Amino acid sequence: MCGIVGYTGSRNATEVLISSLKRLEYRGYDSAGIAVIDGGVRIHKDKGEIAVMERSLPAMRGGVGIAHTRWATCGKPSKENAHPFHDCTGKLALVHNGIIENHLALKRRLMEQGHEFTSETDTEVLVHLVEEHEAGSLITAFMSALREVKGTYAVVMLVEGTDTLFAARNGNPLVIGLGVNENFLASDVTALLDYTNKVIYLLDGDVAEVSPRGVVIRDPDGNVVERRTDIITWSAEDAQKGGFEHFMLKEIFEEPEAVQNTLTGNLDSIASGEDWYGRDLSSVRLVACGTSYHAAMIGKYVLEKVAKVPASVELASEFRYASDVREDPLVILITQSGETADTLAAARQARRRGLSTLAITNVVGSSIAREVGDVFYTHAGPEIGVAATKTFMAQMVALYLLAMRLGSARKTIGSDALREMRSQLMAVPNHVRQVLDQADQVGDASNMLAEARHVFYLGRNISYPVMLEGALKLKEISYVHAEGYAAGELKHGPLALIDSSTPVVAACVKDHTYDKMLSNITEVKARDAPVIALAQEGDEDVQSLVDQVIFFPDVPPLFSPFPMTATLQLLAYAAARKKGCPIDKPRNLAKSVTVE
Amino acid sequence: MIPVANRPILSYVVQALVDNGIHEIVFVVGYKRERIMSYFGDGQAFGAKIEYVVQEKQLGTAHALLAAKDKVQEEFLVLAGDNIIDARIVSELLQAKEGPAMAVASSEMPSKYGVVGQEAGRVVSIVEKPITTSEKVVSTGMYRLSPETFIVLEEAASKGIMAITHALGANLKRMHLRAVHTTGKWMDVVYPWDIIKVNSAAMEWEGLSVQGTVEDNVVLKGPVSVGPGSRIRSGCYIEGPVVIGKGCDIGPNVTIQAATSLGDAVVVGPYSHIKESVIMNHVNLGSQIHLSHCVIDDGVQAGPGLMSAASEANLGVEREFFALKRIGMLVGQNTSFGSGITVEAGTIIGSECRIGNHGRVRGNLENRSIVI
Repeated sequence: MCGIVGYTGSRNATEVLISSLKRLEYRGYDSAGIAVIDGGVRIHKDKGEIAVMERSLPAMRGGVGIAHTRWATCGKPSKENAHPFHDCTGKLALVHNGIIENHLALKRRLMEQGHEFTSETDTEVLVHLVEEHEAGSLITAFMSALREVKGTYAVVMLVEGTDTLFAARNGNPLVIGLGVNENFLASDVTALLDYTNKVIYLLDGDVAEVSPRGVVIRDPDGNVVERRTDIITWSAEDAQKGGFEHFMLKEIFEEPEAVQNTLTGNLDSIASGEDWYGRDLSSVRLVACGTSYHAAMIGKYVLEKVAKVPASVELASEFRYASDVREDPLVILITQSGETADTLAAARQARRRGLSTLAITNVVGSSIAREVGDVFYTHAGPEIGVAATKTFMAQMVALYLLAMRLGSARKTIGSDALREMRSQLMAVPNHVRQVLDQADQVGDASNMLAEARHVFYLGRNISYPVMLEGALKLKEISYVHAEGYAAGELKHGPLALIDSSTPVVAACVKDHTYDKMLSNITEVKARDAPVIALAQEGDEDVQSLVDQVIFFPDVPPLFSPFPMTATLQLLAYAAARKKGCPIDKPRNLAKSVTVE
Repeated sequence: MIPVANRPILSYVVQALVDNGIHEIVFVVGYKRERIMSYFGDGQAFGAKIEYVVQEKQLGTAHALLAAKDKVQEEFLVLAGDNIIDARIVSELLQAKEGPAMAVASSEMPSKYGVVGQEAGRVVSIVEKPITTSEKVVSTGMYRLSPETFIVLEEAASKGIMAITHALGANLKRMHLRAVHTTGKWMDVVYPWDIIKVNSAAMEWEGLSVQGTVEDNVVLKGPVSVGPGSRIRSGCYIEGPVVIGKGCDIGPNVTIQAATSLGDAVVVGPYSHIKESVIMNHVNLGSQIHLSHCVIDDGVQAGPGLMSAASEANLGVEREFFALKRIGMLVGQNTSFGSGITVEAGTIIGSECRIGNHGRVRGNLENRSIVI
């Protein structure tokens, strides 16, 4: 994944581009570059974060430019492989996010035709292809070049001698920001919010010419089309750290609000009594990647318990390879950004199979919204930290609400139980707040994790996916190898790995699995493993068995994922902070994965 | 972050500054600073630029001020985060003549504060919480100071004096500290029951609007504000000033009277009556509840029939006794009540208490008490 920005207008393009690009740093940060028309096309790039490139940046004037921050997919991170790329004449420069699948064949042909390449990237073929077609007008050349390409892209190109930027989108996000006598392009609206909140989301296949005077958008056949202008209500300040050391911590502390905002306005629809998705729904398939996949697993437990509908969970990247043996009348796709490539592909696949699709996403106007029949927006606000925190919490809330609504439509839950669930959900922000107020209590436990090389997270029932997510958080940001396991599987392998240097984090929820969990703890204690237990307040039995107890509020087991998740996030954060890891930008990871 | 008319007290301070064209604000924060930082962020939403300085140990006000030393190059104002003030105090401090100044005010209860002795507009003595005093002019804890004051504070700190009033009080001879008598609104929350009075005073200043859903046959009288996502069910009678937060569920047939604020996600069951009370966030109240002159903190749960009527009462807090004219009860976070509980006037219940069914509660209950 990469971040791209473009500017055309009367300001100093370099300043606008650098400040916008920094807001996209979450999309990649292994190298960065900028091109500005200052007399001719001037390109500057460097390996490393945007700040590194900025330090060696020469003074460049000019009101037209493009810039890029990279997360390597094709070609290693290096100065040579950083964007923008120029053609042989040096008059065209181009930035790209995505993958050109047929780049090797194209590159061979272009080299035979005498083009010179300076990098290992797939992107560079694009700019030479445009050069090859340059006989006609620029827009025709640009479109002809894209027609030859197989793969996904968001592209912005600048050309010496004109203030028009050429942009195209197919499978990767690209938005146009509308200003007064100036216009912007970016991978994501957060990059634009300092300058404008009026944006146009390009659709796949769109090609745009953007100049200070206006925007012309064409469909793949070259017909001029109109696209809707959206007004974004997020402010750029929403994307700032505001006193917190890391975005991740800030976002964890925003969880009570994220939950509250996701609930507000959605609680009333639950008991509407309408026949939502049909009483006869035979099964539900939940499809997602990464953290969203864990939310889906929790969703499975809740859907089955509340709506009594068989639910299965599948990774988006694997759903695509599944053959059509089983038809799931409803496919729920979960993606924070709404741009996750695998999830988007799964949505298309599901629709092709004629299934109903429902997406849960946090970004209004994102690609997934256009690929599905129905959208549930989690109103968690923008999330900058690469490790998903508050958006995961909001995804869970969305799934509980969906389960309640399905349950009420299918008459699998009585109005009394529904009312009780409703009041429990309303109390979630307060329970999470209590966890945050006692953030200090993870201190000693996090020391144990920071010093470990391997950690096991054990849970049963609904706590199992919660622990998978807890392990993922630790892996992502502290680089400690962590494995989430269903505690029942302990004896089927992992027990062999447990010794005095592998801490075990165990979820002890007071449900019907509690006693089994305690015996699992005894098993690992017998192998000298240090044990950290997550237990409900007032649980004194656990305390005597383990090395550390982290208490969370005493809530009904079905609602324990909320306070437990917040606890595990704080635990991973504290461990990573102790190790001095770059928490908001873990190595090799990017916020939303828009390549497959 | 105590809410007054559903906004933290600190936000009134920020507003008073911004109204006077002061946009650069440094918060000295300590324990549990995350709530403050979550709420204010970098200040842009409040029209200010807010920076944070962390005071790891809360040793005193002068110690806190010294923590912010590096952020301050020019003359600056010092304001307390737990006072409700209006813009006038700030403008009076700004308009005072050159040099260091202290905002002072007349008080009915001078022994709660630092009592200030003055001569020709100059502060000559400060006596902290005197037992008896004839003076009625007290320090509001608000100052206009210059960076040179840090030298005085550092000297005092080296002698172990960590409060601003003490540090300045010890140097009144060599330092000309002007007394600026303010007539602006100034209220502080020293004791929990002060919240009720401050809340009711703050409400009058609020701009009010109805954003949630109000069902048929609801009467809204006077200034009533209802937050987005809230539902006021049929048969409710609400007499302002009343502020209701986001995502609340009220009624049916509930009466709420002035001056009451309900936080976010508060549920009030059928046939309940609430007046002159501060109900914070995520409070869940059952049916047929009566609350008058009460302060209910976050996450309190109550079954049907909770009764706390206000009357005269003597409250004992930290070995001091206070005779209050009207008071209901004060309840800490996440305490839960069973059904049919009657609470005597002036009862203070700590946080995380569990109170059973059908009983009478009085006196002071420690945190985590269990009443069977």
